[in-house]
Amino acid sequence: MDRQLRFEDDLVSLLPRLRRFAHALSRSSADADDLTQATVERAIRSRDQWIPGTRLDSWLYRIMRNLWIDTARSRSRKAKFEAAPEEAAKVGADGATEASAELARVMAAMQQLPDEQREVVSLILVEGFGYREAAELLELPIGTISSRLVRGRTALLALIGER
Amino acid sequence: MSVDEQFFAWLDGELDGKEAAEMTARVAADPELARLADQHRAMQARLRHAFDSVSAAPLPKALLGAEVVDLAERRERQRPPAGFARLPQWALIAATLVLGIFAGTLMPGRNDSPVELHNGALYAAAGLDRALETQLASAPSGGPVRIGLTFRDPAGDICRSFSGTEATGLACRDGDRWRVRGLFPAGEGQSTDYRMAAGMSPELSSLVNSTMAGEPMDAAQEKAAKDRGWR
Repeated sequence: MDRQLRFEDDLVSLLPRLRRFAHALSRSSADADDLTQATVERAIRSRDQWIPGTRLDSWLYRIMRNLWIDTARSRSRKAKFEAAPEEAAKVGADGATEASAELARVMAAMQQLPDEQREVVSLILVEGFGYREAAELLELPIGTISSRLVRGRTALLALIGER
Repeated sequence: MSVDEQFFAWLDGELDGKEAAEMTARVAADPELARLADQHRAMQARLRHAFDSVSAAPLPKALLGAEVVDLAERRERQRPPAGFARLPQWALIAATLVLGIFAGTLMPGRNDSPVELHNGALYAAAGLDRALETQLASAPSGGPVRIGLTFRDPAGDICRSFSGTEATGLACRDGDRWRVRGLFPAGEGQSTDYRMAAGMSPELSSLVNSTMAGEPMDAAQEKAAKDRGWR
């Protein structure tokens, strides 16, 4: 298989993970799918910038995170004038309402975190990246990652932790 | 690194041997810290479980829109005609995507899937298999599956394009089964038009063009091929 086909294969196989990361960042499933779609489009347009031999997943996560940051300002402005999303998550079919409700609760809790904590929590606690990988991906010192992670997860525990 | 940070780094498996051992001992000796560790483990498990429902769900149709279909089309054009050594990944994803709708279309109220995986390849099953096996394009059955073109690929195997209300595709003979070489969501409005639904979606037509050797069979040839068991 030539290099181009492999890029496309790998991109498609990473879509479920990208969509999960988008849900961890976004306030609704609709926003998350928009973000995923935008990421795929950007990745295809920028494919020449990906260096073969480096991790495609990190490259795609970085594109998604940057697109998400780009819309952060308009997002927070919009949020001030809007009530909480009525239907934060609609992922599964009807049979999966319990899972959808749980996803909606967890997404709502994630939305309470400041953006810079949410992205670190998403990468490390949800996506399973190591501290160093997350630091490289976000281009931040590892100490910053570590302290944001502590604040983010402590806030989350207060929001959704079981006592 | 603050004490808090060290505790969480330990929890995340980020500490080296000696530091990790020290923190393990500390947590073991401190019920409060042990409880905190448990709470955070449970919270992370809850997070993962909730978000894993997203990655485990089929991709929404919109996500397999323009860009991904473009990918699929471009790949088919670049692929040598006889080079379908394995089912491309996009087709599997498209398959999981349309399965629910397609299965419902083909067999209301039944769970029989119209496709099944066997040794990493996708094969027609149930109603789709029966349609490919028995239906003639020249004699439509009026059933939910319609057969479009029948032709041979460069290797001499017989291929047939098919369509349901929500999906179209191409299957080729592989031994005594029909191996699905492409499966695409049907475009808007196609299901109302028999000729379009029977195989003219752009993705399918591109796949058919790259697979076909020679001309499609006429009604007599199709009938003869059926009588020979699609050999």
